[in-house]
Amino acid sequence: MEMDGRSSSSAVIEADSVSLQQSRRSKFIHQFTQQSLPACKPVLSPPFVISVFFVVGLIFIPIGIVALHASRSVVEIVYRYDGECVPEPYRSNKLAYIKDDSISKNCSKSLKIPKHMKAPIYIYYQLDNYYQNHRRYVKSRNDKQLLHGLKYHDASSCHPEDANHGHPIVPCGLIAWSLFNDTYSFSRGVVDLKVNRKNIAWKSDREHKFGKQVYPVNFQNGTLIGGANLDPNIPLSDQEDLIVWMRTSALPTFRKLYGRIEEDLDADDVISVNLFNNYNTYSFSGSKKLVLSTSTWLGGHNDFLGIAYISIGTSLIFIAFVFLLLHVNNPRPYGDTSNLSWNWKPISS
Amino acid sequence: MKRYVYINDDNLAQDLYCDNRISNRKYTIWNFLPKNLWEQFSRFMNQYFLLIACLQLWSLITPVNPASTWGPLIFIFAVSAIKEAWDDYNRYLSDKKANEKEVWIVRQGIRKLIQAQDVRVGNIVWLRENDEVPCDLVLLGTADPQGICYVETAALDGETDLKTRVIPSACMGIDIELLHKIKGVIECPGPDKDIRRLDANMRLFPPFLDNDMFPLTIKNTLLQSCYLRNTEWACGVAVYTGNETKLGMCRGVPEPKLTAVDAMIDKLTGAIFVFQIVVVIVLGIAGNVWKDTEARKLWYVRYPKQGPWYELLIIPLRFELLCSIMIPISIKVSLDLVKGLYAKFIDWDDHMVDLETKTRSNAANTAISEDLGQVEYILTDKTGTLTENKMIFKRCCISGRFYGNENGDALTDTELLNAVSSGSADVIRFLKVMAICNTVIPVRSKSGAISYKAQSQDEEALVRAAARLHMVLANKNGNILEINLNASLLQYEVLDILEFTSERKRMSVVVKDCQSGKIFLLSKGADEAILPHSHAGQEIRTYAETVEQYAQLGLRTLCLAWRELDDDEYQEWALMFKDANSTLIDREWRVAEACQRLEHDLEILGVAAIEDRLQDGVPETIATLRKAGINFWMLTGDKQNTAIQIALSCNFVSPEPKGQLLMVDGKTEDEVCRSLERVLLTMRITNTEPKDVAFVVDGWALEIALKHYRKAFTELAILSRTAICCRVTPSQKAQLVELLKTCDYRTLAIGDGGNDVRMIQQADIGVGISGREGLQAARAADYSIGKFRFLKRLILVHGRYSYNRTAFLSQYSFYKSLLICFIQIFFSFISGVSGTSLFNSVSLMAYNVFYTSVPVLVSVLDKDLSERTVMQHPQILFYCQAGRLLNPSTFAGWFGRSLFHAIVVFAITIHSYALEKSEMEEVSMVALSGCIWLQAFVVALETNSFTVLQHLAIWGNLVGFYAINWIVSAIPSSGMYTIMFRLCKQPLYWITMILIVAAGMGPVLALKYFRYTYRSSKINILQQAERLGGPILSLGNIESQTRTLEKDLSPLSISLPKNRNSSVYEPLLTESPNSTRRSLGAGAPFDFFQSQSRLSTNYSRNCKDN
Repeated sequence: MEMDGRSSSSAVIEADSVSLQQSRRSKFIHQFTQQSLPACKPVLSPPFVISVFFVVGLIFIPIGIVALHASRSVVEIVYRYDGECVPEPYRSNKLAYIKDDSISKNCSKSLKIPKHMKAPIYIYYQLDNYYQNHRRYVKSRNDKQLLHGLKYHDASSCHPEDANHGHPIVPCGLIAWSLFNDTYSFSRGVVDLKVNRKNIAWKSDREHKFGKQVYPVNFQNGTLIGGANLDPNIPLSDQEDLIVWMRTSALPTFRKLYGRIEEDLDADDVISVNLFNNYNTYSFSGSKKLVLSTSTWLGGHNDFLGIAYISIGTSLIFIAFVFLLLHVNNPRPYGDTSNLSWNWKPISS
Repeated sequence: MKRYVYINDDNLAQDLYCDNRISNRKYTIWNFLPKNLWEQFSRFMNQYFLLIACLQLWSLITPVNPASTWGPLIFIFAVSAIKEAWDDYNRYLSDKKANEKEVWIVRQGIRKLIQAQDVRVGNIVWLRENDEVPCDLVLLGTADPQGICYVETAALDGETDLKTRVIPSACMGIDIELLHKIKGVIECPGPDKDIRRLDANMRLFPPFLDNDMFPLTIKNTLLQSCYLRNTEWACGVAVYTGNETKLGMCRGVPEPKLTAVDAMIDKLTGAIFVFQIVVVIVLGIAGNVWKDTEARKLWYVRYPKQGPWYELLIIPLRFELLCSIMIPISIKVSLDLVKGLYAKFIDWDDHMVDLETKTRSNAANTAISEDLGQVEYILTDKTGTLTENKMIFKRCCISGRFYGNENGDALTDTELLNAVSSGSADVIRFLKVMAICNTVIPVRSKSGAISYKAQSQDEEALVRAAARLHMVLANKNGNILEINLNASLLQYEVLDILEFTSERKRMSVVVKDCQSGKIFLLSKGADEAILPHSHAGQEIRTYAETVEQYAQLGLRTLCLAWRELDDDEYQEWALMFKDANSTLIDREWRVAEACQRLEHDLEILGVAAIEDRLQDGVPETIATLRKAGINFWMLTGDKQNTAIQIALSCNFVSPEPKGQLLMVDGKTEDEVCRSLERVLLTMRITNTEPKDVAFVVDGWALEIALKHYRKAFTELAILSRTAICCRVTPSQKAQLVELLKTCDYRTLAIGDGGNDVRMIQQADIGVGISGREGLQAARAADYSIGKFRFLKRLILVHGRYSYNRTAFLSQYSFYKSLLICFIQIFFSFISGVSGTSLFNSVSLMAYNVFYTSVPVLVSVLDKDLSERTVMQHPQILFYCQAGRLLNPSTFAGWFGRSLFHAIVVFAITIHSYALEKSEMEEVSMVALSGCIWLQAFVVALETNSFTVLQHLAIWGNLVGFYAINWIVSAIPSSGMYTIMFRLCKQPLYWITMILIVAAGMGPVLALKYFRYTYRSSKINILQQAERLGGPILSLGNIESQTRTLEKDLSPLSISLPKNRNSSVYEPLLTESPNSTRRSLGAGAPFDFFQSQSRLSTNYSRNCKDN
């Protein structure tokens, strides 16, 4: 009982010899068995709690400001093209347009750069209302096949896109089958902007998840064509669009990296985008967007963190003030045992 | 059903009765697996987990790898099955050892060595010194010419003294050789479990004796598992064998005990299960609707047009599996672990070591420590439990002269010593009765010192005292007794022993003085059993007053008396006595009647007072525990006066002058009914006043009350917080426990002797004192402690901490499971209600097994208040008794907290990891780390005292989480390859974590601080007081110090004049002054002080402050 030390510091004994260490150990075991290990017992005293709230709040606000600043310093151009790129006659029946292979899906648009964009400029495509996280969808892949190719036969998890005409499909599964197939090219004035489409996928995926010797087989060969086709002569590890696509998104709105523009774009530059609007988002009224964005240490444009930090910081400070007021106006004697109701009763022997 | 045992008859009756094979086993090799599995699956939780595990085998619906459920499930089952198998194997081994022990029996007139299991009813079994008796035998012969042998019955009733057994008179003097050929029949009742009684008859066939019937009693038997001691050999005929022996019949499988906390956890689990079903149904319907309206439009999902017939069930079942982690499989394992540790803490506790005997406390039942903190009633035995059961002769009154009154010890009273040396006739007679009138066996060791083996501690005390006063009981050789008086040797022949029974309350011996040939009756017994039988004209009032006076001092009194008998009178009576002894029906009563015939016209020699000292610390312990709101009932076989005195001196009922004792007594139904109603009426009236009322009931009235007025008695039991039940039998003790249990009270029974075993087994918690009456109680009990005072620590420290810790641990287990489950549910809303799991299998399994279980396990070290504070403010136990820390409303708090935290984690995760960063594995790991961070802080916030181990576990666990994930992230084939490295490199990740912690913990901390400061519970106040120190605490110290001082004084204040003069307080009791007078002996009802026990319990049950 007398071991109820106020802090663990009392337990610190200098151990300079083995015997001392042993005795320390046996002492520790003894204290453990007697449940009398020195313990530190923090008290939620008003000064402590109020200052915690205050200090944390004070730290949060500047972090929020920095984060907000970082987010705002990102230059981002978002261009939704799924509606615009449908020719006027098909506007009422976009599905027919997208399903009709005979119509050219080509579409152009000029985008004005609002602010100086420093390289690298990331090109994303953004899909809304697209459930890459749907259970049927996420499960419909086979990681072993992606790495080992046909050597790995069991592709039952890829159902319903596991085999075609009795032959296995590589890469199998709905995810690969529905590969995004819109393409973009950019030009500034008359000069084409070079889009670097290499290294857009994770290095680890290219090296360890997708086989270097695995080539697409029997892909998009069925009656139903999903998304993009793959060049059967390029191994999967080099099919970076596929690798990016196969990193499924947890959210129904997501962006995936398309490529990088590795030169600065100046403010008021006008770049023209030439895109092929192939991918069907019309049947489920999803939207497609093209995004050009720079990046900071915090990633792309996302005000959430900054706002969250600032608002939580302010509310913490507000709470601190409320508690401070409560404490000043209504001080409570701490540990007043006379508040114990059994002490109000007459105490008998 | 009578059985006829034909002695030594190899042809008859062999197959009628079972053989001597003992079996305590629960399983056989063949039925082990099915039976054990059946038992395990009879628990709801296990059925649930099995169902989940089976569902997971269906890959269409399983969100995760089935191994994540099957692994832990098989592990849990294997562990408990192995434990059962091991226990059963040990039972098998000990059975086998007992069964295969070799014993000598007689077959066809020759002694043969056979295995114990082959002994049959009717066989003659030969035993040598220190042999264990293999089955119940009726003695036929012993090495002793008087036909006596000694047995140790410790295994049977826990009494360690030697008991004498005699051969039936029919077999007296039969030659050893003839014993091999003896034939006869024993008529005995069917097997029963009464180890103190055997009413049987024996008839030997010619040529051994004429065809007379000879009575057999328990004194003529050797019961299974006793040991033969101090006797070269003995032989007997087997009457009961195998599991039909008295011991075998006593053996019962005690029911496993379930604690209130366990029951509450089961209830909460049920509630969670219902909640889960609701969630599953709602999400299942939503999922199916979404599937039909939206998902069919998603061409990339390719829903088939026509699904299988069970299509509608798929999504609900998926959600069932997804939500199955709401009921954490780990809770059973963690609870078993921490409960084991609680028990170990009790075993290890240095404060609960009996320094005299060096025995540690022991928790035999590791599963019920929490119940200790929720005890509401303590039912305690008196002798040996409250008292030391170490009888010391202290005072006496011989022919009106008091000895030992001055210095409190008659043995050193010079007056008495002088009287002895001068040979005062009164004193010598008194001492002779002390030395002779008993069943004590003197054992002379090699060095010549005499030690005494006695069944009764009182007798031993008397014989020892007589020896100190130069009246030494030197030898007992058969019927001849030798006494050394001042170096002269006196010899007496013991003719008859009129044994002590609790009805007669006295015992007598008839002895013949070998010198003079005179026959004497020597008696000793309780005053009410001796004084009325004194011869006319003797002044007994002084003795009655003496007895009362001694009783006031808390001494046990015995009146000693004698009478010289005529030879004729004795011979006539002896025939009658023998007759009574050989009856089969109502023998006890007939014998008592016969005894009565002799025990009259006694000359009272004096009164001996024996002290049975209270154990150290008993009054303080009882006072503290009563303050903690625990109600005490004393159940004792002792007489009313002594019980009341002990109760007074150990704070059981507070002395002087406000409280009151109410008697429930009477010999007939009507009397009992009337007194019960009176007492109830008084109770109801006084219930509104601050009065401490206790009732006193004796065994007889209790039996009537329990049989005919159960309802009224139950009401009385609830109203009265203190009770003294005297003269109760073991089965009545158990009945009282049962009664309180039916009223839904948590009961703790504490006792030390074989007579407490049933009560101990019946109660929610049984505590045995490993004391002088043997270890039987301690063996049957859940906890065994060395001294009564350890009970305080057992309940207030171990019980309370265990309850608090389990309350936290169990709710926390649900919190963490709900947390991750809510996140899964939220995720299903953004994943098309399709039942996708956000987390991967590895994470889900490791979350419960590694990430969250370690920090919470070290909560077994948490102490909300220091032990000293709890001891000073035992009232704080109310929180545990009333179940304030684990009940639906506290659980709702945890439920809300997990919902809130799930929202925080989920919302922050999906917003900060939106758009280009929304990769599944990353989002999943961010959410998981958010949970881990939050739970670390939740544990830290809920921890009251941080030891090194807790810091290590809480913060080390965080490190461990990253370590494990880094390792998994380094494996190329794992799904989360490189994920954790990537995340840890991003400043965004760390900023998100900090945000989650601040947003999750800020409100929780604010709420806790607000409650802690402005709506503080008693626990909070004491925490603040103890941690901040200051003058307030020391005030508490002073207060408690003065209180203990008072307490030290209070036993002293119960000196005789005070109580004798106390005014009579008899409201409503005047109707039958006789009965009250009688039961109180002195006619002085006791008015007692009020203690707030009853109020406090009301408070604990009703008060709803914060």
